[in-house]
Amino acid sequence: MKELRFRIILITGAIALCLYLLYPTYKDYQNNKEVTVQLEGLQQSIKKSSPSFTNAQIKDIIASKKDSILTNNPDYRSAREKRIKLGLDLQGGMYLVMEVNTAKLLEKLARDPDDQYKQILKSAEAESKDSDENVVSILARKMNQQNIRMSRYFGSIREDDAAITSKLLQQESDAVTRAIEIISNRVNQYGVSEPSIQKQGSRRIVIELPGIAREEEAKRLLQGSALLEFKLVKDADFAIPIMNQIDQALAGKTGKDTASAKKDVASKTDTTKKDQKLTDEQFAKEHPFFTVARLLDPQGRIADAFVKESDRDKINAYLENPDVKKVVPDNIEFIYDAKPETDPNGDKYYRMYMVNKEASLTGGVIVDAQANIDPTTSAPIVNMQMNTEGSRDWAQITGSNINKRCAIVLDGVVYSAPNIIGKIPSGNSQITGSASLDEAKLLEIVLKAGALPAPIDILEQRTVGPSLGQDSISQGFNSAWIAYLLVALFMAFYYKKAGTFADAALVLTILLSLGVLAAFQATLTLPGIAGIVLTMGMAVDANVLIFERIREELTTGKTPKAAVDAGFKISFSAIFDSNITTLLTGIILYQFGSGPVQGFALTLIIGIVTSLFSQLILVRIIFDFILAKGYKINVG
Amino acid sequence: MRIFQNLNINFLGKRTIFYFISATLILLGFLNILTRGLHLGIDFKGGTEIALQFEKPIDITQIRNDVDNLGLGSVEVKTFGSSNDILLRTDLQEIPANVIPKVKSKIESIISNTFPGLQKHTTDSTSTTITIKFPDNRTAEILNNKLFEAGFQTSKAIDDTSNTSVIVRFAVSDLLKENLAANYKNNPFIILKEDKVGPKVGQELKKDAVIAVMLSLVVILIYISFRFKFTFAIGAVVALFHDVLITLGLFSVLYGVIPGLNLEFSLTVVAAFLTLIGYSMNDTVVVFDRVREHLKLHKTLPLEENINQAINKTFSRTIITGLATVFSIIVLIIFGGEVLRGFAFALFIGMITGTYSSIFVASAFVLEYATRAHKKIEF
Repeated sequence: MKELRFRIILITGAIALCLYLLYPTYKDYQNNKEVTVQLEGLQQSIKKSSPSFTNAQIKDIIASKKDSILTNNPDYRSAREKRIKLGLDLQGGMYLVMEVNTAKLLEKLARDPDDQYKQILKSAEAESKDSDENVVSILARKMNQQNIRMSRYFGSIREDDAAITSKLLQQESDAVTRAIEIISNRVNQYGVSEPSIQKQGSRRIVIELPGIAREEEAKRLLQGSALLEFKLVKDADFAIPIMNQIDQALAGKTGKDTASAKKDVASKTDTTKKDQKLTDEQFAKEHPFFTVARLLDPQGRIADAFVKESDRDKINAYLENPDVKKVVPDNIEFIYDAKPETDPNGDKYYRMYMVNKEASLTGGVIVDAQANIDPTTSAPIVNMQMNTEGSRDWAQITGSNINKRCAIVLDGVVYSAPNIIGKIPSGNSQITGSASLDEAKLLEIVLKAGALPAPIDILEQRTVGPSLGQDSISQGFNSAWIAYLLVALFMAFYYKKAGTFADAALVLTILLSLGVLAAFQATLTLPGIAGIVLTMGMAVDANVLIFERIREELTTGKTPKAAVDAGFKISFSAIFDSNITTLLTGIILYQFGSGPVQGFALTLIIGIVTSLFSQLILVRIIFDFILAKGYKINVG
Repeated sequence: MRIFQNLNINFLGKRTIFYFISATLILLGFLNILTRGLHLGIDFKGGTEIALQFEKPIDITQIRNDVDNLGLGSVEVKTFGSSNDILLRTDLQEIPANVIPKVKSKIESIISNTFPGLQKHTTDSTSTTITIKFPDNRTAEILNNKLFEAGFQTSKAIDDTSNTSVIVRFAVSDLLKENLAANYKNNPFIILKEDKVGPKVGQELKKDAVIAVMLSLVVILIYISFRFKFTFAIGAVVALFHDVLITLGLFSVLYGVIPGLNLEFSLTVVAAFLTLIGYSMNDTVVVFDRVREHLKLHKTLPLEENINQAINKTFSRTIITGLATVFSIIVLIIFGGEVLRGFAFALFIGMITGTYSSIFVASAFVLEYATRAHKKIEF
């Protein structure tokens, strides 16, 4: 008994750990059910309000709504984050591989491109379609063959071909970085849960967007042009009174005349003092707007406010309120920072600015931008150059708005809002105030997005609708338990009592496999479920080998204990060798497969390891226990 | 329960019969692949595949006619699971040149319906896109949305910094969907899945698949020769080739024969091939392990006798494990849904040939090789 103790503890520990790891998955499943019930009302109302929608369309809308609730509501979020991740083929979503169109980029980068250049570029592009070689290198080679120097179209006359080629490659890589930033920015704004945007190789971007209900919209989101604008930020003197009026309008005190509103602003400090005495609830009732839009500076010197991520919908709804619309001038708007700040509780807050609706300048005028370290102050800076036309406008804008802030807005979100220190006549501006060189680099990317667009093509696109995903989950689930039942009955029938031990080992195998998936935050795909189902069949193999061997040993007249010992011992080499070969092919599959296929390889690999663990250890414990107790063993 | 107790069959004595069976199967598959070809899915060929679910059952021949009328050429229309669901597949990358004018005139009519007599000019026109410049930003914005609503992929042109150009992309899938939506107004559909693979990606995936299969064969060859003998490794790999060839052949033979079974060669089918390589290997190794054991125990017995005994001793295990695995694969074929069917079917054939080959191909090869080379195998 004593020698069993360690192994029993090991198994119990493993089971406990797996149950702990799988609890969030179970919880998420429960939450899912709960939300489904909650959404039933919504489903009915959609049906009533828009009868033109088909059942299937409504199902898709509800599915994506459910997904967004489960990922955004803090009550559900933690379970969702720790559950076994589902692949796009199970939860529905979109997988995209995009590539920067280098040929188009080269067309734009070239100085005075003539017909000869266009022809070479065209043939280089055609050649790149069937080769792994980069368009830039092909172009360089072709120009070299025709004795044309690269400097005729790029860079300066003193640079040699190699230097220009490497510069162009850098430009290409920059274009990818830019495209990634633009895409991430838009995806964040669109509110996709758990998106993944990754660079693959030198110029590819792999994007995974789970739970996209309308793929057309998503594709459009990714391909449109990036709009860079400069918008003047409103002064506190102008903004605070308007925000106060919004607050009052929402609190239902529209009768209040502007004079008293002004007084409120003037005594903003008093207001806060007074409000401190109010309970949170009262404050929320009297100042609905300031409850969600927390002013950055209680003294009201600047009008920026912090808005919690989850409150942004609320702000949007407030601004749609007809009473509020009356007090907000037509020519202003509220926009947010691109990146949130996180407070110690892990809540994300976005800075909100009040800006002129109309852009003072758009990004097309920017010629170049570079992030640098200022040699004198060693602070990160960004230098920005504009073309002649832009410089003229910029001089006027900066000249008449000294000591005001100008927001740099890309696709509707603010990346920086530097203060205008003085008139900039030349168009060469220097932006300081970036916290780090990385931040300055990001600003460089953003500024260049206006100057040098990154044309991107979709190479591969796979979309799975939420309803097919749901079907796949239930089909996978059904297959799994039916397969278990069949295999378990078969084993119990053929090997009697010993067969049931194998069945117990099978349960442990599945539990451990799922536990490992959850622990490594691995993604479960439909082929992955197939891998688990297949494991059910293949996993009994080790036990079959052992049981057959025990039978053989028993017929040679060995004692049960000796037969069990020999059965486990002699079969081990076959079990080990055969599983290693399957494991090796599994690893190769994981290396070369993509997406769903990788999911299959993963569950196959995990299944091999966990099934060996449970079949060799758990079944052995059961045998040893029975033998120690002196019961008869029965291998059918 | 024991079915195969004290089995004593002279498996290897009958090996010529099985050589004949295997050779016939491989030849049959080979001829089929040569004449009918392998039906590569869009994963490898590139193209577009859409699965749609209609609200009410649809008549597939009618849809076929509708799609044919578009003039695209080769578009396959198939059922996808239930009678409400269809699968459209084409290897077209872009809309053929003769259909493009139709698409363009449609774009024109949408624009002129929104703003009659609008000043505009087409700045760029390729086989997949058309870029139109409008007089001002607002018009461009409105038309961008209008065309999008009409089913086109539109966006503001990236390279026009004045923001007055709109790129309209026309993809094969959009054309198909738009056409079906217009023809079946009272039987609307949702998109179950949509895949589009470019030719370049298709090429890469094909290359990766071939590398993966070859690499796993090489890895197995090395591992088996390290754990057993080189002769065994060759035997095992020959058996693997045998399994892969027969499964491949059957895939080609049975394509389109069994209704509801979609035997396209896709990425998941390659995964099935690698799994069957692993499984077949698994089986072979178990037999080899027993052969190794017997060769150690009975050094004087002839090799054929030793191998025969090893096969007989492991036969029960071979069948039981094979059955358990085949059970779960049949479950997958029946309950796993449309997406997994081809995959499960490849595994099903693979498991059977894998079990068969570990006895009649791998072991027989070792015997043939040893007798011909007059080599004594010892461990």
